[in-house]
Amino acid sequence: MSVKIEASEGGRPHNEILGFGLIGSLVCIYLTYLNVLTGTEIFSFFGGLGAVIALAWGSDTIKHLCSYGLGTGVPSAGMIAFGSGVIAMLFATKFGIAAPVAALVIAALLGAVIGYVSDKVVSMNIPVMVISLIELAIVGALTMMGLAAMAGGSFMFADLVAGSTTVFGIEIASYGSSVIGGSVLAVIFILGSIAVQHPFNACLGPGEQQDRTLMLAAECGFLSMIGVAVISFAFIGFGSAVVALLVSIIGWAYTYMEYIKLSRRDAYDWLDAKPIHEPKGGA
Amino acid sequence: MENLVLGIGITALAGALATVAGAAEDTESDIGSQGDPNSQVQLAPQMGYIHRIYNKAVSGEPPAYGLWCALGAGIAWALMSIQINAVLAIVLGSAIAVFVQGVYATTAYLGRTASLAKFEQPVYIDIIKSVTTVTMAHAFVAIFTTVAMCQLMIVALGHPFPLPLLALVWGIALGAAGSATGNPFYGKERQYQEQKFGAGVPISASGNIVRYAEAGQRSSLDNGWFASKLGGPASGICFGLIVFLELWRTVLFEQIGAGWGAIIAGVVLILVFMVIDRYIETWARKTYGPYVAETEEAAS
Repeated sequence: MSVKIEASEGGRPHNEILGFGLIGSLVCIYLTYLNVLTGTEIFSFFGGLGAVIALAWGSDTIKHLCSYGLGTGVPSAGMIAFGSGVIAMLFATKFGIAAPVAALVIAALLGAVIGYVSDKVVSMNIPVMVISLIELAIVGALTMMGLAAMAGGSFMFADLVAGSTTVFGIEIASYGSSVIGGSVLAVIFILGSIAVQHPFNACLGPGEQQDRTLMLAAECGFLSMIGVAVISFAFIGFGSAVVALLVSIIGWAYTYMEYIKLSRRDAYDWLDAKPIHEPKGGA
Repeated sequence: MENLVLGIGITALAGALATVAGAAEDTESDIGSQGDPNSQVQLAPQMGYIHRIYNKAVSGEPPAYGLWCALGAGIAWALMSIQINAVLAIVLGSAIAVFVQGVYATTAYLGRTASLAKFEQPVYIDIIKSVTTVTMAHAFVAIFTTVAMCQLMIVALGHPFPLPLLALVWGIALGAAGSATGNPFYGKERQYQEQKFGAGVPISASGNIVRYAEAGQRSSLDNGWFASKLGGPASGICFGLIVFLELWRTVLFEQIGAGWGAIIAGVVLILVFMVIDRYIETWARKTYGPYVAETEEAAS
């Protein structure tokens, strides 16, 4: 069995972040349903906010999992989260209004199977493996659903495969111009899988602090939202896409500034154009 | 016949774009110390070697370039679908992707360096200002050429994949080519110029990377100069050949045997390269021989 190494002391307990992440992201993804109720597309950006919350939870799970000495395994944890998440998310979109909850259940089942195989069959013997991979699969599924809802305005399969293209000024239905048919899901997949692994991968080391890592997770989420907001111009109305873009840029700018402040707090020194400072008794 | 000539022309153009992409990708990743050379940059302060080298720990190069290229292509695809000119759409898509790349680079440097406070490694803020922009410029060239190449494959050669998916696949291939071909020049050669030639990197030398330059202190920008001379062009040739041969076999042999012709040509190409690789390996072993330690030399 691997020995557990504490990455950082203190901070909020993981279960608290799990609860907040799970409920927060589900509520935000459901808020995009206001689009259907009110007949607009203005609420699409809530999907992105749901993804930000899920990514923060996911990065804390990766930290929890990788504290068992998986240094180089941090980026692969992001890949397995979204690899299992994308299957659950696509399957769940067929469940209509119940899609976010269905994504949660299917992802949990998938994560349990993958976790069991890695822990017992591949014999990695990490005590938190099964529960962490369940969490990561849910994070992957909810993040993809949130960002897909942000791009397309809906989390339902029928809307995600419906698109239209203009040929000589006449609008015709075209599968190739939809969120799924245009492979926007491929962009969302790689955006999310890099965003979920980056916070802990970038902040790991003996001086890692939970608040700084989580702030970076939120920053990565908002940065991914900017890309998805620009893509959403192809699917939702101009005004709604502008609102989504503004929310993303404001969120990103705030979290980026806060992250720089936290890095300045934790850094040994903050120097501008100064020579190498050789430590006393160093090499 | 006309189709074939057009196909060969597109193949050559795509190969040329890929060569530029490969060269820019490796130069970018070496300036930022991404990929496997990053482990030594990360280790150095822990061994007492404080340095002024960029630490761009985003992930391995293949997933990172998968993201930059897929994002650039996704945005370009979306802009094209709202009737924006293809060239302008690809430029705008690449610009936004490069913005994301730059932000990821700065957060990685700040995060890794701040977490090394225990070993007295300070954050050099001037490094972020001077080096990030240079990596972004190189990344723009790599992303733009890769997305343009994918667009060519779809529009001119009729590739069935949507642009974002094709760019994701080729972005991963681009990162893999740069990581496998160019990084040894930087990671095993440039970082260890102080070690004797052919000595390898013993455990005792781990983290003892070159920190001082001919004049003053080594900056990551100096590594850009070094990479653009050796690792960059080598990666360019590698990725350019991959793209060129891949399209060449498809364009020429796809009509034979309902597509099986292209598959057989691919297998033959792999076999030919295996023979070449084996020949180079045995030739290098015979010519340079195994490494002889100094103590053995003294004894003999």
